[in-house]
Amino acid sequence: MDMSQPPGEAHRPDADGRAAIEISRVSKQFHDGEGGVVEAIRSTSLDIAEGDFVAIVGPSGCGKSTLLNMLGGFDSPSSGQILVDGKAIAGPDIQRGMVFQDYALFPWLSVLDNVTFGLKKSHSRSEARDEAMKWLELVGLKDFARKQPKHLSGGMKQRVAIARTFATDPRVILMDEPFGALDALTRRFLQQQLLKIWREHRKTVVFITHSVQEAVYLANRVVIMTARPGRIKLDEKIELAHPRKVTDPAFRDTEARIFEALDEELAKTFSLETSDGHAD
Amino acid sequence: MPDDTKASALPAGEGTLVSTARDRATKASKGTASAVAPYLFALFAVGVIWQVAIAVLDPPSTILPSPVSVAGTFFEELFSGELIVNAAVSLTRVTSAWLISALIGIPLGVLIARSRAAERLIDPIIELFRPISPLAWIPLAILWFGIGEAGKVFIIFIATFFPIVLNTVDGIKRVDPVLLRAGQVLGCTNQVELFLRVMLPAAIPSILVGLRVSFGTGWAAIIAAELVAANSGLGYLIADGMEILRSDLVMVGMIAIGIIGVLVDAIFKLVANRVG
Ligand SMILES: Nc1ncnc2c1ncn2[C@@H]1O[C@H](COP(=O)(O)OP(=O)(O)O)[C@@H](O)[C@H]1O
Ligand SMILES: [Mg+2]
Repeated sequence: MDMSQPPGEAHRPDADGRAAIEISRVSKQFHDGEGGVVEAIRSTSLDIAEGDFVAIVGPSGCGKSTLLNMLGGFDSPSSGQILVDGKAIAGPDIQRGMVFQDYALFPWLSVLDNVTFGLKKSHSRSEARDEAMKWLELVGLKDFARKQPKHLSGGMKQRVAIARTFATDPRVILMDEPFGALDALTRRFLQQQLLKIWREHRKTVVFITHSVQEAVYLANRVVIMTARPGRIKLDEKIELAHPRKVTDPAFRDTEARIFEALDEELAKTFSLETSDGHAD
Repeated sequence: MPDDTKASALPAGEGTLVSTARDRATKASKGTASAVAPYLFALFAVGVIWQVAIAVLDPPSTILPSPVSVAGTFFEELFSGELIVNAAVSLTRVTSAWLISALIGIPLGVLIARSRAAERLIDPIIELFRPISPLAWIPLAILWFGIGEAGKVFIIFIATFFPIVLNTVDGIKRVDPVLLRAGQVLGCTNQVELFLRVMLPAAIPSILVGLRVSFGTGWAAIIAAELVAANSGLGYLIADGMEILRSDLVMVGMIAIGIIGVLVDAIFKLVANRVG
């Protein structure tokens, strides 16, 4: 694990201007099990700076999860490379936390034990407990520490998952449509909470969403991916000041510009589906 | 008849088992009465049908004794300690065999679930042996282990082994892959750690189902195990009753097997509810 790195070897990638994550000409092909090959991502390059909040938006099936899984170390590129702080990804690592769409809480552990799970090695028992409680308080679930996850609503579960991930203090946080399964009000609340935490802690966040509005609301950089095979179609800095308001004219302009780019891709996705019959 | 050394030691064990079931039932749920009611009703209904059959057919009591006389024998055997001793002997046999099955079956199930090669090798063997009834093993059990305890435990081992292995395999294979990923990004850096901290706990509910089902199949096989050269146990009670033409005794043995089976199963369910 990378936690035992000698001091000074990494951890200050910004000093020499290097990006925290460098994705260079990454392609990924899958075998579809019938002898065919699905090209999920083609020659994609993207540099993500330390502390960036990057939202990746794209039509379903364009390879967003594929890209995120490679960042997580669960899969490796067919060609090209991904460097984190200048080093190739060797596998999953506690330095790259992940928040999953379906929460992935451990059902046999209490809320508190879920949050302390990742702290077992780096903290003493009582330190882990205190740290976990701090994060549970931050997501407003201090009173639910002793509960089992099954007694929580979806939104609460995702808040526990967010607390669990931030508690381990990773350098990068990967989120794959984390609010996709939540109702609009809960989603709005969690967006605000996430933003608050991010602005305080300035983690590098890669956030996948299919909502342009969510992307513009949260991120300081929005990346639009093309229909399969995924590549980067648009890479836009969002300079709007926080707190952002979806009703602001500036917000709407940004949103409209991004929608335009996305619309072209959606049109391609549908023609792709009808031409090769490979719906997602 | 069971010897006296066993008689003094075993009632305590039986008592513990029953009181534990009760304690947990009252603590775990207020619904104990409503959980027991269907069983009491079932007993009552069977008693009524049985009594009607006797009134209509009027068979000799050796062929079909009346519910009242069977109930009489039941309490007689219960209060003399005979029933409790025999039940305890049978429970001890089943529990030993079941523990051995768990000790071998759970690691084997994990191995099959985790290793493609092990699955290819062991799965066909299991599938070949699984349909063979524990009854079929009686001759070999006697040849290999003689007529002592070991042969009886072996037969029940056969009856308890497969549900444990199969449920363990199933439990491990069905662990949600996203939980494994979560474990990995939360610091499980090697397979052993991931297994102990995520995979095994995630599979526990399924493993418990295996343990529960297998205790049931083991308990049902008690007759087969005690059919040969037993001088104690509920199976012996039934075989002995048959020999001396006491069908009431046979029925008492059957009823005891039914009741204990239900009680043990209830305990397992309570434990499973706590863990799940
Ligand atoms: N393990 C896999 N095996 C085969 N095909 C896959 C696999 N994972 C993803 N794909 C395919 O790659 C494409 C991109 O998938 P994904 O990254 O999940 O898209 P997104 O997250 O953008 O909706 C899809 O066509 C999908 O069917
Ligand atoms: Mg996806």
